[in-house]
Order: sequence, then structure tokens, then C-alpha cells
Amino acid sequence: MEHVDILIIDDEKKFAAMLSKRIELRGHSSDICHDGKTALKWIQKKGDFVTLILLDLRLPDMYGIEVLTEIKKINPAIPVIVLTGHGTEKDRQQCEQLGAYMFIHKPLNIDELMTIMKRIKESSK
Amino acid sequence: MIKRAQVSLKSIWPEFHKHQQHVHLKPFNTFTDYWKLWFMSIFILIVTALSPLGIVTYIHYELIQKSIDTELNLRTERLTATAKSSITFFLEERLDAMIFTVNEMGYEQLANDKKLAEILKNLKLGFGRLSDLSVIDMEGNQITHAGPFDLKGKNYKNQPWFLESLGKNNFISEVFTGYRGVPHIIIAVRSFKPDGSFFILRATLDTKRLIQKLASYKTGNHADVFLVNHEGILQTPSVNYGNIFEPTHLTFPSHETKSEVMMIPQKKTDPIISGYSIISTTNVTTPFIIMVQKKRAGMIHVWLDLRRNINWALGISIILIVLVITFASTFMVNKLYQIDKAKAETMLKMEQSQQLASIGQLAAGVAHEINNPLAVINETAGYMKDLYSLKTGAGNDAEMVELTNSILNSVDRCGTITRQLLGFVRQFDIKIKKISLQKLVDSVLNFHKKEAEYRGINVTVSIPDTIPDMETDSGKLQQILVNLINNAFQAVDEDSCLDIIGSQIDAKNIEIIIQDTGCGIPEDSLTKIHEPFFSTKQEQMGTGLGLSITYGLVEKLGGNISVQSTEGVGTSFTVTLPIKIQEEGLT
Repeated sequence: MEHVDILIIDDEKKFAAMLSKRIELRGHSSDICHDGKTALKWIQKKGDFVTLILLDLRLPDMYGIEVLTEIKKINPAIPVIVLTGHGTEKDRQQCEQLGAYMFIHKPLNIDELMTIMKRIKESSK
Repeated sequence: MIKRAQVSLKSIWPEFHKHQQHVHLKPFNTFTDYWKLWFMSIFILIVTALSPLGIVTYIHYELIQKSIDTELNLRTERLTATAKSSITFFLEERLDAMIFTVNEMGYEQLANDKKLAEILKNLKLGFGRLSDLSVIDMEGNQITHAGPFDLKGKNYKNQPWFLESLGKNNFISEVFTGYRGVPHIIIAVRSFKPDGSFFILRATLDTKRLIQKLASYKTGNHADVFLVNHEGILQTPSVNYGNIFEPTHLTFPSHETKSEVMMIPQKKTDPIISGYSIISTTNVTTPFIIMVQKKRAGMIHVWLDLRRNINWALGISIILIVLVITFASTFMVNKLYQIDKAKAETMLKMEQSQQLASIGQLAAGVAHEINNPLAVINETAGYMKDLYSLKTGAGNDAEMVELTNSILNSVDRCGTITRQLLGFVRQFDIKIKKISLQKLVDSVLNFHKKEAEYRGINVTVSIPDTIPDMETDSGKLQQILVNLINNAFQAVDEDSCLDIIGSQIDAKNIEIIIQDTGCGIPEDSLTKIHEPFFSTKQEQMGTGLGLSITYGLVEKLGGNISVQSTEGVGTSFTVTLPIKIQEEGLT
């Protein structure tokens, strides 16, 4: 199965598409899911072949925290960066407890993401 | 010396006189005019306390005055009665002796000069002060005479006393001078001869004895005892009215023989208490009225002394009451002021924090709604930039890169604003950790090290090692310091100073002062700097949220923040924080 560097789970289609293109421009592969259920199915199928997941907290069908819980059930080893436009301190603490790799506010700095990506890849070697 | 006086004056001077200075607390004060409150309190208390005192004193004075007047009247009346009975007895005694002589001796013996002289001698021995004795026939001719004056052969037919005595058996005259030119009283007794004609035995009485007798009733300097006739002409000398025969202009409302007392008001001095009584013997009515006069002031001097003492005591009591009331009122109004001020400050803080909280709620909502489209703009613009700078084959258009960069910078700025807005919500959660203030300040200053060196800003940190580690939310404290130090760096020019001074003010609190020699804050802005979106910085420089968040954070950590600033001189922020945060107080 083909390896995917970053899985973007975000209902904002334009944002996901642009981010995906920018990631690919920087030589990494990416895939997009627009809702929680699709994302979970994707992970069940290809979970072993993904380096990093970017997860939005507010999804149309599920709350991001639930998705994170499910991801960790499927594969606790996948680093998940929670990306949010309005996260509260409580959300942040909850995500950290659930084992999220990071908690980042939108808008996202692409260079920062690349640095993190590099670090994860190096540490998994 | 002057300084000490100022200090002590400051400690007595009530705090509430500064009321007008705290204009910003005015909307929250329960009372607006503390001076009025103070005056009203003193006025009401003084009226309440002094009215009963005044009324009781007045009633007391009136009662004492009345009882003293009654007592004085009684005493005067008693003295008058005693003096009267003594004078009556004096006259009666002599008159009775004369009646006895006439009846015992008969005309023949009395008409004999030698016998008459002998009788006078005996009468003088028995009664004294009878200066002479004469026998006068019904025509007024003096038949015989015994005594020192040569009055033999005188005719009294036209003398007033003779005419007056004609129809009476016994007669006592007023004092008069008569032929001898010496004041005397005549006592005359009429006796009928067997042939039906009558003769008169007349004795003259020297007034000296009478005057002596009256003088014996004078008690003290303020008493005057004298005789007047029914027309008010003096019959004996008087202290108050002058010498014998002078008019007194006194009128007597009662013509009864019992003693009466009246008050004679005086123009300049205290009134005179005057007792009088008509002197009347059992056999004859005399023309005399005895007067006993006493100056009221002289008699009541004991009471006046007592009244002076009472007045002193009353005066001192009034002064004490007024002083105590003034101090108590000042103390109470001051306490009221302090409580009211504390209440107003709490309400102001509550309003500020409510304002911050509601702004926070709103801001969080706005931030949430804006962040997502902002993320789209960011990625889209980022992709555009990527297309020109990264994608192989696309032209490297520098102008396009610059334009997208400016979009990205603006997005970044919007991101900062929304993050700060979300900070409003986030500041309501607390995470307590043990931290060293010194280390925290150092870590914050590390960000500014390069800038300070480059701009030549002299940063000094003075935090003594004795300051204990704090148990507080380090993230929030760091945020406070970052905000304040950032502000200071933005305010100062090159070669300015920035001082960070930490000190422990008591067992529970520390104080951090961040002062700069920068541009300062205009006075009218000082009360607004904590308001969200208020900024004195130029456009593009500040969001107007930094200090607002800082104020909220300090409050969240259970502390206080105050600012002092002079435009063009510098600004000093003083943050007071508890060393150990009280968790139960945090909501």
C-alpha cells in the first residue's frame, strides 16, 4: 500500500485542498478526509502507512476529541496534531491527555509543519 | 518638625475629604457628599445630646430660682415681722407709761414743775430716751415743762401734731423738728379734768434710740431697715433712699398691719426685696411703716456661686460632648467612607472583570468564526506564494511573492489578534506551579536581550534572593511580564532605562515594579488603558488587548495592578501578587 505522509481531516474543503497542495509542493504525500467517519475508515484501512494526522476539532459528524479517541484505539502510535480555530484550554488539556502530539491554532504555519514532520520522521527511524 | 506636623495632621485628618479625588469610583459610591453626612451626623447627635441637658439645666435653674425667691421672701417677711414687733413694743411701752402717769398723777401734780421734772427723771430711768415732758391745756398753751429745751410758755395751737391729736385720747406723731430743730417723735395722752376740760401730757422721744433699734436688725451690708410715713417720707435714715425726711416714692399696696413682701425692680442692679408693715399699737395707730429691704444679689450670692460652678461644669460637659461627638462622627463617617470606597472598588473591579469576561465570550466567538476563513486565506495565499517560489516551471515573480507575503503577514497579524482574543477565555483556567520569580523574569528578558543591546536600552533587574518561590500559574505570570515588558520596550527610545524591581511587601505578597523612562501615558488615557481595544500606539502597532489581558490575568492570580505615568517622563506599573495563590477564591 502507498505511504501517505500527512492525512488532513478537515471539513473546510478549500483549506484542506490548499494545504494538501502545499504539502505536496514540498515533496510530501497527503490525503484528505472531510468528516470523522470517513477518516476513521481511512485509518482502519491504511493506518499503518501514515506518518502524521492533522485533525480539526470541529467536524460535521463527530467532535474532534471523539475522532482522536477512536484513532488512538485503532493505532496509538500515529502522531496526531490537533488543529483548531477556536480551541479552549480545556480542549488542549483533553487532547494532551488523550495522547495528541501537538495542539495548534489556525492559521497554520507551513514551515512549522514541515519542521515537525521532519522531526517525526527522524525519530521514527 | 514641619514634616512631623504634616504627618500627624494627615493621620488625624479624615480620609473622606479626598472623596472628590476618586472621581472614577463615584458611580459606585452609595453616598455622594461625605461632608454633608459628617455635618448632619454631628448636628443631629449634638442636638440629641444637648437638648435634654439644656432643658434639664433650665428647669433646674427655674426651680432653684423659684425656691430661692420663696425662701428670700419668707426670710424678709420674718425679719420685717420681728423688727415691727420690736418697734411696736418700744412705742407701746412708752405710751403705756404715759397713760399710767396721767391716770396716777392727775392734773394737779403734773401741773407742778418740780413734780413734772421728777416724773421725767423717773420715766427716763425706767424707759430712757424720753427727752422732755410737758403739760398742755386744751388751748395749746404749755402749762408746765420739764426737759433740756426752753419751751415754757409756747403755744402749740397751730402745730400740726396738736391739731391732729385733738380728737384722740392717745397720739403718736411722725418724726418732725418742731421748735427745737431736732428730729423727734411726740407721744401725747389726753386726760379730762373733773370740770370737763382736758389737758394733754406730752412726751418727746429722741429718734436716736429708734434708729439704733432698727440698726440692730440689719444683717449684712445688703440690708436696709428704716421707717417711713404713709406718704413714703423717710422717718429714719436709709441706706437706699438717703437721710431723714427725704421722699422714697414708695407706694404700699396693702394697708393691713400684717407683714407684706414685694419685689422692687431696679434699673441697673438686681431687684430689691422689700418687706413692710404698718406699725400699730393696741391703743393707737402710728404714722410709721417699717421697711426691711434686702438686695436680692447680696442674698443669693451662694446660689450665684453655685450657678457659676454649674455653668462651668455645663460648659466643660458641652465642650466634651461636642468633641466626643465630632471625633465619633469623624471616625464613623470615615469608616463608612472606607467601606463605601472598598465596595465601590470591588464593584468597579467586578464591572471591569465582567466587561472583560463578556468581551472574552464575544471575542472567542468572533475568533472562532474568523480563524477558519483566515486559515483558508492563509493556505490559499501560501499556495500562491508556493506556486511562484517553489513550483518548478512557474516564473519566479518577485512582485507576486511580495504581494502574497503582505497577505500572509496580514493573516499572521489577524491570527495574533484572534489568539489574544481566545486568551480572554483561556485566562479563566488556572494551573498552579512552584516558580522562581527571578528565573521567570530572566527567561522573559532573554527574548529582549538582543533588542536591548541593539537599541542601547539599559535593563536592570533587582530581585533579591530572599523572595520565596511563588506558587502560582507560571504561564499567566509569564504572560503578564511579557506584556508589560513588551509595552515598556515599545515605549522607550534609545538609551533609555527599564527597571524591573521585585520585593516582598509582607508575609503573603510580593510586588513587581516595571518602570521605564519612556514616552509615558497621557493622563486622560490612564483610566482607559485596561479597556479592551484601547490603544495609544499607532495603527498596525497594537491591538489594544495586551494591557486588558494583563489586567485580567493579574486579577485572576489574586493580585492588583496599578499604573503611574507622567507623559514624557515614564511609566511605572506595580503588580502586587500573592506568593501562594488561594485556589478557593478562583472561579
